[in-house]
Amino acid sequence: MAQIAGRNLSLSNLEKVLYPSTGFTKAHVLEYYRLVSPYILPHLRGRALTLKRYPDGVAEEYFFEKRCPSHRPSWVATTEITRGNGEPMTVCLVNDLDTLMWVENLASLELHVPLARADTPENPDAVVFDLDPGNGAGILDCLRVALILRDLLAGLKLACFPKTSGMKGLHVLAPLNQKKTTFDDTKKFSKSVAQVLERNYPDLVTSKMAKEQRVKKVFINWSQNDSSKTMVCVYSLRAGERPTVSFPMTWKELEHLESNGNPDKIQVEQSEAVNRLKKSGDLFGEMLIMKQRLPYI
Amino acid sequence: MAMQSIWSGTISFSLVAIPVQLVRAVEPGRVSFRLLHTKDYSPLSRRMFCPREEKMVEPEDIIRGYEIGPDKYITVTDEELESVSPERSRTIEIVEFVDLKDIDSIYYDHPYYLVPSKGGEKAYQLLAEVMRRTNKAGLAKFVMGEREYLVAIKNIEGALSLITLHFSEEILPDDDILPGASPIETLETARMKKIIKEMTADFNPAEHANERRKSILTLLKKKAKKQPPVTPPDIEDDEEGPVDLVAALEASMRKVKKNR
Amino acid sequence: MTGKAIWKGNLHFGVIDIPVKLHTAVKEEHIQFHLLHKKDHLKLKQQMICAHEKVPVPPEEQIRGFKQDDGRYVLVTPSELEEILPQESRVISVLEFVKTSQIDPRYITRSYYLEPDNPSRAYLTLAAALTDLDVEGICTWTMRKRPYLGAMQMSGKILRLNTLRYADEVIPVSSLDLPHMSISEKELHIASDLISHLTASFEPQKFENEHENKLRQLIDKKARGEKIVILRPRRLKPTSPSKLLQTLEASLKKVA
Repeated sequence: MAQIAGRNLSLSNLEKVLYPSTGFTKAHVLEYYRLVSPYILPHLRGRALTLKRYPDGVAEEYFFEKRCPSHRPSWVATTEITRGNGEPMTVCLVNDLDTLMWVENLASLELHVPLARADTPENPDAVVFDLDPGNGAGILDCLRVALILRDLLAGLKLACFPKTSGMKGLHVLAPLNQKKTTFDDTKKFSKSVAQVLERNYPDLVTSKMAKEQRVKKVFINWSQNDSSKTMVCVYSLRAGERPTVSFPMTWKELEHLESNGNPDKIQVEQSEAVNRLKKSGDLFGEMLIMKQRLPYI
Repeated sequence: MAMQSIWSGTISFSLVAIPVQLVRAVEPGRVSFRLLHTKDYSPLSRRMFCPREEKMVEPEDIIRGYEIGPDKYITVTDEELESVSPERSRTIEIVEFVDLKDIDSIYYDHPYYLVPSKGGEKAYQLLAEVMRRTNKAGLAKFVMGEREYLVAIKNIEGALSLITLHFSEEILPDDDILPGASPIETLETARMKKIIKEMTADFNPAEHANERRKSILTLLKKKAKKQPPVTPPDIEDDEEGPVDLVAALEASMRKVKKNR
Repeated sequence: MTGKAIWKGNLHFGVIDIPVKLHTAVKEEHIQFHLLHKKDHLKLKQQMICAHEKVPVPPEEQIRGFKQDDGRYVLVTPSELEEILPQESRVISVLEFVKTSQIDPRYITRSYYLEPDNPSRAYLTLAAALTDLDVEGICTWTMRKRPYLGAMQMSGKILRLNTLRYADEVIPVSSLDLPHMSISEKELHIASDLISHLTASFEPQKFENEHENKLRQLIDKKARGEKIVILRPRRLKPTSPSKLLQTLEASLKKVA
């Protein structure tokens, strides 16, 4: 039983190994999230959480949970959202450390949130370019595409920020933080960008989802710009073989990794994440503050 | 909701001209059995396909041809088609009005809606309102694509609906199948009318649609339990984004390529 | 002359059974064009294409699905489909009668004549009753494995069956998002007057299909290698809202 700020939170199965290949236990998961909480909470705050629970570890069955578990403590912040079919649903909001700990106690290794806050579900704060390598392509190809994308958007005076997905791809996000931007806008914009990149780099990029179209190419999944979709939150763990993290990169670092050509140096594991955050702070902080407008939309 | 325009032009009556667009009034209903791809459950659509190149052909690469012999065609372009009846390909001139109840329903072919283009909203509403008050429809002929249509324009709930009509030569005469007249017993007629009166109600098309959907869903419930319903992948249309955006992106792209 | 009967059925309601034969009531004939590939004038084929991958899909990779409200599809095999569709029967069930004026033309798809099968007093009685009461019978039936909804009506001396589309197939007027404008009573009054002057009786035989002939002439011209003069279509200048009243008045003067 832990006592955090006067609230009672019962933690269980702390010795359970969730990452068999490294012996990373539930206690380790909780510790990781506790250490990165000052950096991850601002990115989770006020957003409808989708839990991805691995109660028996990364090698076993997992399940998504969008509805906030009914057995939650009274102090867990929630809000009501409207589902696609018009029905209301209660979702969890991870606004503080206790809630983050409670969620991790449920072995929600991965934390997925929408691009919009729960109180303005149709207005995303950013536009995302989800770079997903097809069969025969890899994360290095994603880095290549990310650099072209950065330059392309720079020509339209848009700044963007990359992070690893923590698995095989890359996410490039451009902060907007404008009240009036809609998913319609960001979807239109990202689709056009994807199509232009595809036209100009047909052997490297595809904007089409069909598996056959993605072979040896990087798929720019523009359809992620939707109120019904979620992205893995920055600094979230991933349920891969090793405890890797969705971690931001500076562009300099990305250029270096791309020219270096070694894909194994790209993923960031949890211990490295903790150290780097302690040293440099939240590299993704601009995502929360920078205001930009989508041009021509 | 922006609708895809099928035709655009002007409707007129006497000296009044109203800019309009023609849009669909019919869509596939909620009882849709669609053909899906067994691989990914993506819905299938019909497209034109070149058998020699084994490729799908885009509309801009398609031309219509009239067959005058085996594999011999005379092609006709859109401009040539419009030249055939130029006074009626972009103008629907209402030449007369008739009482709605005088239009025999056998003439009705296909319904469309007209929506006003910029500047025509007032005249459009005026025409709709006057036809509503007087219970009349306007008759006109116009040419769209390969065909000429006789049409009735009427008011439906404040909107103008254009219904294509069959030409009278297309209506088959019924004289050879007419029932012979024979004296009818008034008692039988009275009994029939009584039954009919008991079965008379208000026309509620939504009710019939819902009944049909319900009965099909009930029959499908069993199947849905046996094999869970599938989700098709996101349907993407290859529609280009806003013109200005695409142009700006291409310009930026050129600079990027130059610097690499 | 109507063609052969395309189907036989029994109009049924209460204890009434009236055997009828269906004949198509409309015959359309138009110049048919084929679609060709511009570059080599090769005739194109219609194929089922996967919306996703844009490649043709052979019949063995096709399956039918019924779309649920949540967007998912329940897969149905051809034999399951047969079970779901109403069984073949010859019954045209009359469900109810409605006032003729209530059926709006947006619902009407095709028309059939109903010829009495065998001299039928019941047929004539029904015809007389429908005429007197000015109602139409709403029916359902299954023809060639497809379910139909229709309206049976009396017209002249013969009963007709018009097939109807379902309510969810008609796009509602509300989706057009028409703007609401203010119109003066004066404008409405003059427009009413104008329309009265332009009113005639419905005589559809007055309108001929001139285009078919002209189109044939165009094709003949091209076949002979003659040059086609491209004429621009006539475009009218729209009446501006501020000039609407005076245009109406001028029109009335012209026709009155």
